[in-house]
Amino acid sequence: MIRIEGLSKTFAAKTETVSAVAGIDFEVAAGEMVTLLGPSGCGKTTTLRCIAGLERADGGRIRIGDRTMVDVGAGVFVPAQRRNLGMVFQSYAIWPHMTVLENVAYALEGRRLSRSERHKLALEALTTVQLAALADRPAPRLSGGQQQRVAIARAMVGRPQALLFDEPLSNLDARLRAEMRNELRRIQRESGLTSVYVTHDQAEALAISDWIIVMRDGRIIERGRPIDIYRYPRHVFTAQFLGTTNLIAGIVEERDAQSGRVAVTTALGRVIGIDPSLALRDGVKVRVSIRPEDLSSQVPADSAGTPLNVFEARLTFAVFAGVAVEAELRCGEVDIQCLLPREADLTPGRAVTLRARADACLVLPEE
Amino acid sequence: MSDVASTAPAALRAPESRFQFGWRGAALALLIVLLAYQVIIPFVMIIWTSLKVVRPGEADFLSFSFTLANYLRAFGSASFWRTSWNTLAFALASTLLAFVMGAFVAWVVGRTNTPLARLVGILLVGRIVIPGVLITISWILIASPNIGLVNQVVLDLTGLRNVVNIYSFWGMVWVQALEMVPLIYLLLAAAFQAMDPRLEEASTMTGAGNWRTLRRISLPLALPAVGAALLLLFVTTIETFEVPLLMGGRAGLRVYTTEIFYDTARTPIDWGLASTYSIALLGVAIALLFFYFRLIRHGERYQTITGKDFRPRRIDLGRWRYLTCALALFLVFLITGVPFLMMLYASLLPFYQAPSVAAFDSMSLANYWTLFHNSKTVGPMINSTILGPTVAFAVVLVVALISYFVQKTSIRGRHILDLLAFAPIAIPSVVLGATFFWFYLLVPLPLIGTLTIIGLAYLTKYMPVALRFVSASMMQIHSELDEAAQVAGVPWWRNFFKVILPLLKPGLLAAWFWVMVHAYRELTIALMLARSQNRTAAVVIYDLWEEGSFLLLSAFGVLMFMLLIALASLAWSISRRFGVEEQV
Repeated sequence: MIRIEGLSKTFAAKTETVSAVAGIDFEVAAGEMVTLLGPSGCGKTTTLRCIAGLERADGGRIRIGDRTMVDVGAGVFVPAQRRNLGMVFQSYAIWPHMTVLENVAYALEGRRLSRSERHKLALEALTTVQLAALADRPAPRLSGGQQQRVAIARAMVGRPQALLFDEPLSNLDARLRAEMRNELRRIQRESGLTSVYVTHDQAEALAISDWIIVMRDGRIIERGRPIDIYRYPRHVFTAQFLGTTNLIAGIVEERDAQSGRVAVTTALGRVIGIDPSLALRDGVKVRVSIRPEDLSSQVPADSAGTPLNVFEARLTFAVFAGVAVEAELRCGEVDIQCLLPREADLTPGRAVTLRARADACLVLPEE
Repeated sequence: MSDVASTAPAALRAPESRFQFGWRGAALALLIVLLAYQVIIPFVMIIWTSLKVVRPGEADFLSFSFTLANYLRAFGSASFWRTSWNTLAFALASTLLAFVMGAFVAWVVGRTNTPLARLVGILLVGRIVIPGVLITISWILIASPNIGLVNQVVLDLTGLRNVVNIYSFWGMVWVQALEMVPLIYLLLAAAFQAMDPRLEEASTMTGAGNWRTLRRISLPLALPAVGAALLLLFVTTIETFEVPLLMGGRAGLRVYTTEIFYDTARTPIDWGLASTYSIALLGVAIALLFFYFRLIRHGERYQTITGKDFRPRRIDLGRWRYLTCALALFLVFLITGVPFLMMLYASLLPFYQAPSVAAFDSMSLANYWTLFHNSKTVGPMINSTILGPTVAFAVVLVVALISYFVQKTSIRGRHILDLLAFAPIAIPSVVLGATFFWFYLLVPLPLIGTLTIIGLAYLTKYMPVALRFVSASMMQIHSELDEAAQVAGVPWWRNFFKVILPLLKPGLLAAWFWVMVHAYRELTIALMLARSQNRTAAVVIYDLWEEGSFLLLSAFGVLMFMLLIALASLAWSISRRFGVEEQV
């Protein structure tokens, strides 16, 4: 279990001080994987390095398990080497003067273990990451993906209280990244280690996490289960950052407090959507967020009880993307992206009727 | 890819003109010839001469009858072995002392939170513009028996006579070590910066304390770089000339370089002995460089993929940081401050004396006026001012072409260029000066006594280091930039001047400054090739020293120093108008 309370950290830049982390709180339950997601400079890596003990926080408290690691008010700071954590770095940070086995076994040197016991445990960890066959190879003579596996084995060999991942997959190519992502999730599940994972890649975050925390400018924007945060984001920023979406400007016309449904006047006419925050008022400027996959040229099968929004559009441009066709359409004065079935007629200028269920149209406050 | 090219309309394809390749091939051939002439001849000359008992210019010199007489004479004499011992002992002691000081400053500046660290670094590197011969002389003025300031002050205060004597083994080691600290600082600071701090953090995360991280991670990782720096320093000291020349005589310490110089400076010139000493010096240098390159290659294997955000991990020294600051500033004062202040002080005096109220009252610019009205000093200053920038331009152009051919083309034989351009690193300046002199005695080219012969020798001498600057820069230029121009059908030479050179600017500029400063202040080669018309500023300093005109010499040194600064600033402001801006 990791608990962060009021964590803040500022850096002195040339002329001003930059607030990297501006007072954030969150908790990671035992055995869970929480991802800090955000664009570069949002403070996610700084937060992770504060948990690791590689940066000193300026304010707040950090508890890991039953130990208080940082309490700035009380002057508590446990140095990184006494926190019993495992960390996987973006650059892997594999020691080039050691073999693969030595890299992993080094992590056990502080323990009261014999050399052979250390090597046995290290070999077990290497087996978990499927690298036992390369144990005696000099570390620099490994591919990027293999170095990444060594880094993971090294981080978990000492049975740490928690695992910290600092953008571990960003230096790998796309195919390997997908493979390692699933591998990481498997290892984390099997080991049951509490983990904090930092990334700017939304697909990675959605696939790997129990919980996602979205950060911007040193603050937490929102948090939730991957599917909830993808389907029902409460902020335009989150909707945009996680996947592709259409954002249509409008003004709240009327609300139904019971169902949470909201009617919005937009350039496309009246749109019925839902308000996940239940906090909007009449006359407020909003954006309606509709994901391309929620816009369909057919009548959705399960549309029985929910109202449908219908848009008349003309096809301007389409690209075949394997799974479906990514299409751009012009609807009045607004450009809209949607996914069309592969067999659809893709003649430019063709009229298309698009439908979206009210549940898939999120009404979000203008930022 | 090739399908696309073959289906493109014929008119759009880049013309495959033989002409274009021909020019490139011609340039390459010309470069190989130039390098062979500049590099192979010195090597051949030195070996050839060592196997002859007759002198260059005599009838039998060019025949193929060789003898080992010179070697037998040298190796059989006690003085050869004494000189060998002196050379190695002097080099080893100076290297170690310089290393301790340089490593300390590099660590303080690069890896700790010591205040004023940047200033220390800048002042240390700034020392490079002060000629080595002036540093040696300033320490002689400070700590020699009788006239040395320290001895005068101690005599006045305590009545003790000559407490320090710079004319001794340890005096020479002290001056030599101080002179080399900026070099070792540069080498180690680069090594410290190249190390990924994440490697240390990864160790910390496994629960290792600072001590274990230092012992098991930081030190082993730094070892190849440290070893390479030590070796390079050792080679530099073995080849050094200024300190042994100015102090070795009275200290009774002769080393290889001074032996070679004296053998060629006295009449009759002892060619045979000079060349065998040269061979010994060359042999030691090549052996050490062999290990140096092995270490460098070993070190490169240690470089791993690294992230972009690289903040050096600085150790918090707590209150100790004021002590490290004071120590670092004191070292910088000894290295940069002392020679400069000493020269400035002495240049204003009518006669040499310890600082006192009377001394400061008697100060004037008289020495400077004397220099300006003496053609013997004005001419050489002009010579150096011509020589430095010209040689720098020539070296930079040749080196840019070499690294272009080696790195951006796949022409066969391009690696010969690399090898040839780098080989002179093994030739000590004294040997280089001697071979150029001997060679132009043999060939009917009227170059002896001109600036050109010195310039040609400098071209050979400064190529290896300039090549390293420019190669590092060339490596960062993506081959596709060159290929894009080729595909567009731009002739290669236009591409070279319009695309490659402007992009190469940071490396070219660094190389140009380095060569310019060093060629301006170089003493060894200039002294060995000096006649009446081609004396350089550094040679004048040596002449003034031999005459005992310390005060004129100091004024001359200050002028030389200021001219160099002016030259460097002028070049800097001109260079800013061309090429790409350096990314900050």
